[in-house]
Amino acid sequence: MNPVLQVQGVSKLFGDRAILCGLDLELPADSTTVLLGANGTGKTTLMKLVLGLERPDSGTIRVAGLDPMRDASAVRARVGFVPDRPDVYSWMTPRELFAFLRPQYPRWNRTIESRLVERLSIPLRTSFATLSRGEAAKTMLVAALAPQPDLYLLDEAFSGLDPLVRDDVLAAFLAEIDLSGRAALIVTHELDLAARLGDRIAILANGRIAACKSIEELCGVDEGGGGGGDQPRRLKQALSDVLEGSAA
Amino acid sequence: MNWNVDPGADKPPSQQIVALILDALARGEIESGAQLPSVRQLAAQALVNHNTAARAYRDLEQAGVVRGKNGLGVFVTDAGPKIARGLRRDETLREFARIAGEALRSGHEPRALVALLSKISERKSA
Repeated sequence: MNPVLQVQGVSKLFGDRAILCGLDLELPADSTTVLLGANGTGKTTLMKLVLGLERPDSGTIRVAGLDPMRDASAVRARVGFVPDRPDVYSWMTPRELFAFLRPQYPRWNRTIESRLVERLSIPLRTSFATLSRGEAAKTMLVAALAPQPDLYLLDEAFSGLDPLVRDDVLAAFLAEIDLSGRAALIVTHELDLAARLGDRIAILANGRIAACKSIEELCGVDEGGGGGGDQPRRLKQALSDVLEGSAA
Repeated sequence: MNWNVDPGADKPPSQQIVALILDALARGEIESGAQLPSVRQLAAQALVNHNTAARAYRDLEQAGVVRGKNGLGVFVTDAGPKIARGLRRDETLREFARIAGEALRSGHEPRALVALLSKISERKSA
């Protein structure tokens, strides 16, 4: 099966500063990949490139076989994106946002939309200007799940929430996300979350994917299925090994 | 039932789920023939990804504890509770032997450990 996302040799410069240089990443179907990396290493830039919001200086990107620059609207209809901060007009309400998005997504599922709105108690008629951080994050999550996309892109979607709200949002996400034939790329700096959500962990350093391994491989599950515990600490170790190695 | 999983614990999340289900079976909280949550529901309750939940069910199926019926869901087999009791007893006995060895090496008297065991057992049956 073709990968859901294929990024090959992608470079991106801002001025004379290279943010990404020759980055390769493939997301196979039925998988969730967590992207780890220090602040300012280009994680958000990578997401913008995948969405066609930025043009790569070199390299190719394919989302379900489509080029985000050439087929921008077709690609956006296949991607459910949660930005790190809601990129929505402050006067809009969740109800207006969903009404605005629905026609842009051929597979938008109103049952998923209303199930999540109810489960997460989203105030439909309150403007983004007055929604709490948690309510805004929940609304953006609905906007990424209801379209039943081929690719889910989540940029710090669960950060800044108080722990109980975070668990509710996470449970709703896991109850509704459909990964059959699809893939998810999740950016987070929370290692507990990375261990919970990721089948695969990719580490971004110096403009490239410095490591991309299954969580079992990274956390040392042995042949007989033993080991493999203490995952957040092992992820932290892997992260610092890669960062030290790439700095040398 | 509490499906709480901690990625920071010694065992990986899928094995923690296996242990939670085996314990619930061994205690009789889940009986043979009972339907378990779907992979998706289990993932949402344990807050782990779908493949982790699916792996837990695969391991339980291999042990003969559960059986997936196509399209219908996951069910506890007739022998499930018995197998679960065996597996959990073997595992906890091994763990007990290890801890007991450690306690003896650190200077506890065997008599004191036996007394502690009777006290715990009395407290449990009280």
